[in-house]
Amino acid sequence: MKTRKNIIYSLFIIISFTPYLYLFYDFKKVKFSVDNLVGFYPIYGFFACVGLIIFAKLLGLLLKKDEDFYD
Amino acid sequence: MIDFLSYPVSYLVLGAVAIFLKPKFANTIGMLSIISSMLCLLIVSDSQILNYKIMSFNNVFYQISDLSFLFCIVFLIIGLFGKIFSFYRENSNEKGYVLLYIASALGVVLSGDFLTLYVFWEIMAITSTFVIWSTRNQLSLNSGNRYIILHLIGGLILLIGLIGLYGQTYDLTIREISLNTWYSWFILIGLLLNAGAPPFSQWIPDAYPEGSYSSSVFLSAYTTKTSVYVLIVTFAGNTILIYIGIYMILYGIVYALLENDIRRILSYSIVNQVGFMIVGIGIGTELAINGTSAHAFSHIIYKGLLLMSAGSVLYVTGKRKCTDVGGLYKTMPITAACGIIGAFAISAFPFTSGFISKSMIVESSYIEGLEIIWYFLLIGSAGVFLHAGIKFPWFVFFHRDKKLKATDPPIFMIIPMVSLSFICIIVGIFPNLLYALLPYSVDYVPYTGNHIVSQLHLLLFSGLAFFMALKYLERTLTITLDIDYLYRRNYALLRLMLSRIVSYFLSLREIFRYTKIDKKLYLIEHTLLNQSSISIMLSIITVVIILVFLLNV
Repeated sequence: MKTRKNIIYSLFIIISFTPYLYLFYDFKKVKFSVDNLVGFYPIYGFFACVGLIIFAKLLGLLLKKDEDFYD
Repeated sequence: MIDFLSYPVSYLVLGAVAIFLKPKFANTIGMLSIISSMLCLLIVSDSQILNYKIMSFNNVFYQISDLSFLFCIVFLIIGLFGKIFSFYRENSNEKGYVLLYIASALGVVLSGDFLTLYVFWEIMAITSTFVIWSTRNQLSLNSGNRYIILHLIGGLILLIGLIGLYGQTYDLTIREISLNTWYSWFILIGLLLNAGAPPFSQWIPDAYPEGSYSSSVFLSAYTTKTSVYVLIVTFAGNTILIYIGIYMILYGIVYALLENDIRRILSYSIVNQVGFMIVGIGIGTELAINGTSAHAFSHIIYKGLLLMSAGSVLYVTGKRKCTDVGGLYKTMPITAACGIIGAFAISAFPFTSGFISKSMIVESSYIEGLEIIWYFLLIGSAGVFLHAGIKFPWFVFFHRDKKLKATDPPIFMIIPMVSLSFICIIVGIFPNLLYALLPYSVDYVPYTGNHIVSQLHLLLFSGLAFFMALKYLERTLTITLDIDYLYRRNYALLRLMLSRIVSYFLSLREIFRYTKIDKKLYLIEHTLLNQSSISIMLSIITVVIILVFLLNV
């Protein structure tokens, strides 16, 4: 599990640079109200994934069966 | 004879026949026939039409447009690399069936009327079943049975729709069909079943992973994408397709997160990716159709690449589950690198082929002002990275090192993987190479600051979510129930119906005191209601309907 921690740390380092990406972002070209907001894409991406994982876990409680279920 | 030589399908059929006659030279014949078919397609590119009048129908075998040319060329490219990849596969019959399968898929794409399309459509269902059966074990036999039953039913529904179409309009040329008649719904359902639409999305992860390590590359490419092609031509711009596509996107992600089998994860992500294409067809603007065709192209390439790297792992280690492998990047570095490139391409990282094609579909929803759809597509984009972009390479090549003895696969399996990785990256860096092949003219620029920044933000933070939730994503030795429960769990649905009938008969028995009914019911259950006899019955029904149809007309 050491690798996992290392990866999370390195991801945090990479992510700490992501705000600078907004230098390349043109806020005049946006169309919907949300993509005007700073940090919409990161927050949306993060919580979309968390939501998907939680939903998958809940569904798994219902639908997961042993591998030899159909045998 | 000239006609025959100018028809790309004929070379593949000839090649298949030659392989069945001379199985020793299966590899050479297979590659030669695909290359000659490709040359034929490139040389005879002007819209020459092969027309034959068969039984009062005008059958148009060869009608090429920009769209069908794109699909044909990508079918042949992946066919060629798949052929090289299957060099070491010893089952030569499989190689012949694969050629027939490619031929029928090309036949569907090139056909100019619905009757020809239907015939090739059914041949495609049958040949792909033989490809699955060629693995030659009990699992592939069973799943092939389920596969062909579902596809024959789908073909039957399509046929009913086509009969309705002919009965109402006396015109079978392939054209746009509006959804205001009963038969158009039958046609749509028949086509969508092959695309893996709900509720029967399940056949893709059921059947494709049961192919051999090499044949699942072919299986992933043709059936769903021919269906996407026909849907573009016939049903572009129908809003219902958007919702079906959204469902498929989310379904693919959620089920892939629960899955343990490596190739089944990739099969779920086929459902997910085809979902993006179906959304594009549903939006139906020029940009969306361009995006759908481009996405079909790049999807076939990177999915082939991903399945090749999964196939290499299967070939070398013999393991097909995430729980059995791990830490393979040390022993299989080239396979791991290619798999990671494929995973980046599927999750649409900038400078890969997925980015330049998927962003067209997302952008078209943005331009059309479909705000809710756009939110869902963003969830989908983040989720693709979650289930295929990280999960597949992480659990296979990293994670816990299982200390498996492995090396990179032999040279003829490396070559196609490396070449496909190059295609993924080159198409990503020079998108105009692909955009030149698209059906409409493209004035779309993928590499703007907004696109790159938003995509990178989305992907990096979904990656963060993956590693923070890694504890909850540990693979377990389980399968996930789906709609197939109804016909797999000892034929649960049939059994339910049968038990009703049995109780009815038992009540009769009480009246008549007829003793041997139990034995007869046993016979019925084990002979009449098993899968092969159902499939035979379905084919008989199909033949009878065709005969009735033809004799009446």
